[in-house]
Amino acid sequence: MRETWVIGAASNRYGKMAESGREAATRVALAALDSAGIDPRQIGYTFVSNAFGIAEKQAHVGPLINTGLGIPEVPSCTIESACSSSSAGLHEAFVHVAGGFCDAALVVGVEKLSHLDTLAATSYFAMGADFPFETRNGATFPGLYATLANAHQRRFGTRPEQLGAVAVKNHANGAQNPHAQFQKPITLETYLASPVIASPLRLYDCCPFSDGAAAIVVAAREVVRSPPAEPLVIRASARSGSVADMQDRPTLTGLPATRVAAEKAFRQAGLGPAQVDFLEVHDCFTIAEVMALEDLGFYAPGAAAAAEADGETQHDGKRPVNPSGGLKAKGHPVSATGAGQVVEIFEQFNHRAGGRQVPRAEVALAHNVGATGGSCSVHIFGRR
Amino acid sequence: MPEAPTPHSIDQYRHDYEEGIGLRGFRSGCGFVTATWGLVCPRCGRRDLAEATLSGKGRIVAFTVQNVPGDEFLNDAPYAYVVVELDEGGRITGWIDGIRTESQLSEGQRVEWAPTYKPGVHFRPHEPSSSAPP
Repeated sequence: MRETWVIGAASNRYGKMAESGREAATRVALAALDSAGIDPRQIGYTFVSNAFGIAEKQAHVGPLINTGLGIPEVPSCTIESACSSSSAGLHEAFVHVAGGFCDAALVVGVEKLSHLDTLAATSYFAMGADFPFETRNGATFPGLYATLANAHQRRFGTRPEQLGAVAVKNHANGAQNPHAQFQKPITLETYLASPVIASPLRLYDCCPFSDGAAAIVVAAREVVRSPPAEPLVIRASARSGSVADMQDRPTLTGLPATRVAAEKAFRQAGLGPAQVDFLEVHDCFTIAEVMALEDLGFYAPGAAAAAEADGETQHDGKRPVNPSGGLKAKGHPVSATGAGQVVEIFEQFNHRAGGRQVPRAEVALAHNVGATGGSCSVHIFGRR
Repeated sequence: MPEAPTPHSIDQYRHDYEEGIGLRGFRSGCGFVTATWGLVCPRCGRRDLAEATLSGKGRIVAFTVQNVPGDEFLNDAPYAYVVVELDEGGRITGWIDGIRTESQLSEGQRVEWAPTYKPGVHFRPHEPSSSAPP
């Protein structure tokens, strides 16, 4: 297997895009290629994620992006894995490049839902769940994670103030990120006063609906000559799945897919949690960040919420988590989210993260979940 | 007359619970019971799945009260979304109307399937006066 690097990365500001997903994706892809210092014609494969492209009446967007980049002959395919779509795309790009099937690959994720009303957007999100056996029985996406939060609270005594600490921290980080959808800090009082969406989750426990696009360029070390930015060495690229319906899983206080992907990734990298300097994790809801830190092995089950409240996960804390603001404040443009996490790690490694710069950026982990954990990606990055 | 649903299909599961006929599921050779459709046991990989007719009686394992509803439940919010451990083993999800706060439900509380004209698997809290054992 060839050593494989991320040599370029870019995203737009998440929130509401005036342009179409196709335009935004092409624009950020070109920015990522420019940041890598390579010509589009050096790309051997484009992996595109656009799970809800149908909401723009557009499928098969890969050839459109490649044509817009002046590389119509380059093969492309669409990778869909709900909210973990573009990290799945990164995994496929890694497999292609590390396996020698191409020297460089482009990973693009994009989503545009802001032209839909809230009900329609909620319905699109719910499509990641099991329609006849979850959604049809009344579940919304917040409802599914709220059920997990309910189980976690009863098992471990997780308190609203501790979940609130996650929201406050991620909004504070988002306020330092020019690409974040929410750039305003919130207080614990604001959090506690926000309405309950699905008990125990309040409005400020939930990530927003977001438009956005992110792209990364992956290349084999042996073909990279003088990268303009410090590359990320992909030390591990792991994916896993689990029983799709959470009621049929052995636990409701964590996501088995995260545990499996983390074990694979740490084994692949030859590292453990203690060697990881900072993380971008899938915090579609505050409880998801807490469970992720436990399932990834950074905290014992039931211990992460207290660590969050103690400030350990702040961007200048013992173990920074989601310095970008996470899905919670940076935003969650479904298919762009996984690639966007890598954009943040790329910025951190290049010391371009401004007020949210973590103190040490030698090893980082990205964790991206599809729906309620039917699929999961864990990537570990290091320096050359 | 509408066509009968294909045997052991998602349509049949749905048809039967929405028509109040019964809750379907399967029991695998390993003992795993589920009310979710499948062809092979997700626990052990066995294909010798026996059809299980589920009583619809069980206990709440986890729940939430949804103030913002799904699009087929617009006039029903707030309502509870529940994970229920069935008496036969196995778990199923469903909803309970008329629940406004978490304090109205508890872990371990007994519930029973109560078909309505509305979508989904609808439960109600078990009433001690009914004939079923608590």
